[in-house]
Amino acid sequence: MYGTHSKRDLSLEFQSQIPILRPSIHARRANLTVKFQDLYGFTVEGNVDDVNVLNEVREKVRKQGRVWWALEASKGANWYLQPSISEGIDLKSSLKFSVLANAITLKRLIRKGIPPVLRPKVWFSLSGAAKKKSTVPESYYNDLTKAVEGKVTPATRQIDHDLPRTFPGHPWLDTPEGHAALRRVLVGYSFRDSDVGYCQGLNYVAALLLLVMKTEEDAFWMLAVLLENVLVNDCYTTNLSGCHVEQRVFKDLLAKKCPRIATHLESLEFDVSLVATEWFLCLFSKSLPSETTLRVWDVLFYEGAKVLFHVALAIFKMKEEELLLTHHVGDVINILQKTTHHLFDPDELLTVAFDKIGSMTTNTISKQRKKQEPAVMAELDQRLRRLNSIKVDEN
Amino acid sequence: MSSEGVLRLEKVIHTLMATSGNKNINAKLVLLGDVGAGKSSLVLRFVKGQFIEFQESTIGAAFFSQTLAVNDATVKFEIWDTAGQERYHSLAPMYYRGAAAAIIVYDITNQASFERAKKWVQELHSQGNPNMVVALAGNKADLLEARKVAAEEAQAYAQENGLFFMETSAKTATNVNDIFYEIAKRLPRVQPAQNPSGMVLMDRPAERVASASCCS
Repeated sequence: MYGTHSKRDLSLEFQSQIPILRPSIHARRANLTVKFQDLYGFTVEGNVDDVNVLNEVREKVRKQGRVWWALEASKGANWYLQPSISEGIDLKSSLKFSVLANAITLKRLIRKGIPPVLRPKVWFSLSGAAKKKSTVPESYYNDLTKAVEGKVTPATRQIDHDLPRTFPGHPWLDTPEGHAALRRVLVGYSFRDSDVGYCQGLNYVAALLLLVMKTEEDAFWMLAVLLENVLVNDCYTTNLSGCHVEQRVFKDLLAKKCPRIATHLESLEFDVSLVATEWFLCLFSKSLPSETTLRVWDVLFYEGAKVLFHVALAIFKMKEEELLLTHHVGDVINILQKTTHHLFDPDELLTVAFDKIGSMTTNTISKQRKKQEPAVMAELDQRLRRLNSIKVDEN
Repeated sequence: MSSEGVLRLEKVIHTLMATSGNKNINAKLVLLGDVGAGKSSLVLRFVKGQFIEFQESTIGAAFFSQTLAVNDATVKFEIWDTAGQERYHSLAPMYYRGAAAAIIVYDITNQASFERAKKWVQELHSQGNPNMVVALAGNKADLLEARKVAAEEAQAYAQENGLFFMETSAKTATNVNDIFYEIAKRLPRVQPAQNPSGMVLMDRPAERVASASCCS
């Protein structure tokens, strides 16, 4: 990684690469843009190297699948479907060694990726969606979708507006069938939690859940567990206060984990929330290639919302040297966008996210959130009061 | 000198270059308006010359840049296209802070979007930079038969509030380049720096800056 080199090393490295880079055929190869469909049907534009990376990733996915099957053979079927350490096991009392050993194996395994065929089952169980579903009658989802059919609310109007604008051009999502399924999930959820109702951004999250989970009902429960248990509260409610809190925590973490970048960006008056807000609200689904996003979600559903900070920090960290050379806000954004769009190798990102960024416990992050909440509330309140005072002046 | 000091000086030099001499102006521009008014479509038309019926919904905001040559200067717009849904408005200050210009967009076929536009005008007036160039764009001007907001009404409102007004159509490209061009013409030629500390630095004696620039 560039981040570990000094500037001097880096320039030497570049020099040594020049003879390799110079031949025009390489330049042409690198500039040639090809369009292709990825594992989940998304059209991706990339150069030849991207295609090669994607092929390597497919091979790695197959290999990782073999690791999972081998473990299943030795540990028994569904050995991984136990509650995660953070969620349920009482560490102090009845802790069996094998349970802990399994949990550690599983954590490592999940960071290396859940094979796509196992994803629906593993996510559903480990995220807590299965448990959530089991507390209500079997017919809950069907009853809900029937009960809300034909009802019109501000949420449903916004959902209808967004259906054709959610990954337009996708071979399934952008069909009448895809729109109808996405609509039922989003409308159903808007009635389940009227505080959230519908927030733009959830359309992308739910769409990707539909592609992975295969059934609408499971996608619905994944969305529910995500909003109600995995993510911080109020991320998507009326003034997005939870999202504001996350952004402030993220800024603090960037200053702590990547101080050089944070100082430089501050000197450019670049507020990292300008780019990170979308990352957090769409859980990277609008920025990263699909398999990379899903690899982030693999860890998100097992380890919790702190994963979003790991990944966001990693994106900055990976481009540290380049970012330090920027003079304009626009250049910073271009680097970040180019980086996220071309992150076809999930391991490249996740290695930085977990090994280079270092550990952060859910506990520390919770404390930081508590610390930021009053400031966010005050800021939001101030804006509202300012807007209200305009109205008073007018009357 | 500390690296931070070097950075600061680079910035000063840069700011000076941007605001004088060769007249390259960097201008932050923000688009605000109701959901579905066509903010992203206006930007797409201006930046790429395209129109797409169903564009991905914008979350938070999307960034674009585009350069325009106007008379004696080159204006590089750094455009923030913001999300329209009401709850996203709490994020707006982050995008309009330090902006040199704003386009407030409404849909001429939707009265509510015009009312929403007025609220944006008030918010910018109460908080934004007083020198900000603000344009009011009545978009979807191609849909004349569905018109709900009279051009005269919007024109009168714009005049009262010190904005300039145009009806645009991202679909047919009518007035799209024109509105950006008009903004570029109205931008102050020497922009005040975006932060007070920048101002202080710019006001320092010229020889200090000059000596710094010759050794860089």
